[in-house]
Amino acid sequence: MSEVKEVPPNTLVLFGIIGGLIGIYLSPYFPTFGALGALCAVIWGAEAVRRVAKYGLGTGVPSIGQIALGMGIVAAMFGLSIVRDMTFAGPIVALATASVIGFIIGWFAQNVIKMKIPVMIRCMTEIAAAGSLVIIGFSAAVAGNFEFGNLIKMVFDNGVMLVVFWFGAMAILHPFNACLGPDEKQKRLLFLAGSTGSAMMAVIGIAAVMTLGRSGAVTLLLGIILWLIFYKKFWDEVYKDAAAVVGTGLIPKTEA
Amino acid sequence: MISLFDPVILMDILLIAISGTLICAAVHFIPVGGAPAAMAQATGIGTGTVELAAGSGLVGLITASYMYAKEPTITMGLVLAAGAMGSMIMLASTMLAGGLVYSFGVGVPFASAQVKRDPITGGRQDTYVSKGTQGQGIPTVCFVSGVIGAALGGIGGALIYYVLMGIYSPLITSSAAAVAGVFTMGVFYVNSVIPSYGVGGTIEGFHDPKFRRVLPKDVATSFVVSLICGLVAVLIAGGMV
Repeated sequence: MSEVKEVPPNTLVLFGIIGGLIGIYLSPYFPTFGALGALCAVIWGAEAVRRVAKYGLGTGVPSIGQIALGMGIVAAMFGLSIVRDMTFAGPIVALATASVIGFIIGWFAQNVIKMKIPVMIRCMTEIAAAGSLVIIGFSAAVAGNFEFGNLIKMVFDNGVMLVVFWFGAMAILHPFNACLGPDEKQKRLLFLAGSTGSAMMAVIGIAAVMTLGRSGAVTLLLGIILWLIFYKKFWDEVYKDAAAVVGTGLIPKTEA
Repeated sequence: MISLFDPVILMDILLIAISGTLICAAVHFIPVGGAPAAMAQATGIGTGTVELAAGSGLVGLITASYMYAKEPTITMGLVLAAGAMGSMIMLASTMLAGGLVYSFGVGVPFASAQVKRDPITGGRQDTYVSKGTQGQGIPTVCFVSGVIGAALGGIGGALIYYVLMGIYSPLITSSAAAVAGVFTMGVFYVNSVIPSYGVGGTIEGFHDPKFRRVLPKDVATSFVVSLICGLVAVLIAGGMV
């Protein structure tokens, strides 16, 4: 079989960071951009999960999605609150903090717990950073901006944060958890990551309709449209990679 | 403005670090079987470490926060006890329900593959372990170990919540519970995933030889990480003024 061309990790890092930050910084003008930025971060995070979880973590892929958002939420809250009046610096500080926390956990996992996964430190850093961007992006889509005082009122008090946390973890961990196996391909995973990310965008859109009204509806509609597009792309990839797709019919009533 | 060198604040940071470490230690007590246990081929509950630790710990967080909301002037001990109680009930009922399925549904005798005799009941184990498996079900020692672990996890979660409420409620009165709760959840997940990498999927409880082997490394990691989380938690309060 010919070697499949993959998107290099560095390209995806740039895609996630630049796309994520641009989306987040545009969110005060139009909140939907926050969700689009977070979608870039989801795709990046899912690919980072793929690179590290390929080695076999021994505990299942979901654990890494949960630690990603755990680190991400701690860093995001820190970054957004510590900057006080310089709101624009918040997301960058959060990204940097998440990378530091991710690096430390990765270093400990590699050198103290001795997991012997060569990409552990790099991927943990990337996953934490992606997690923080996912949290900030989707929160901004619900709250209308990323100012911490506003986020407390619009995202924390009404419990939307839990949806962001859980759905964010699912969006990052599900693509590899579903695709893993001997014939796993990056392209299929990226499309599935796009589809989980935009499914999350639709859910966040529902929350945003509650908090922001009209602009939330745009997030909801765009999320559903992107979801259908990405899911169709994923569907096509599955058909292309499969040897054959046949209907098996129902299970026969009597065993032979 | 909150000063980092204030002894009270330093104590708070240390308490958060200790509670993170407690959560990490708790995970080692819980009999986690992972996918093999789901097929009754290993001792323990058939799901992942993180799911069990977080499931029981978050129930502990709910009971602790309920206690705190009812009686804001209450002593720390009672909040921690409420957290421990919630976690223990959650995990004990999970194990009971799992045990019913293993014994009456799957039909396996409960046996531990790590010890010859159950340290609590003294019952012989090795003769009941099916060939090619790592034990089945949830034997007495695992159940007891799980309940101890859940108590530690509940105490850990409740302690972070209690400390954070102390820091945040003077600053953002009515929203403090939400912010403290979400932050606690974040720290909880980080600290329940770290040991799950250490134990590598399955552990039976405190009688498992793996317990002694991996506990020091995981606890050290978790302490450092939780210390950073504690520092971050206090600095967040600095931005709320």
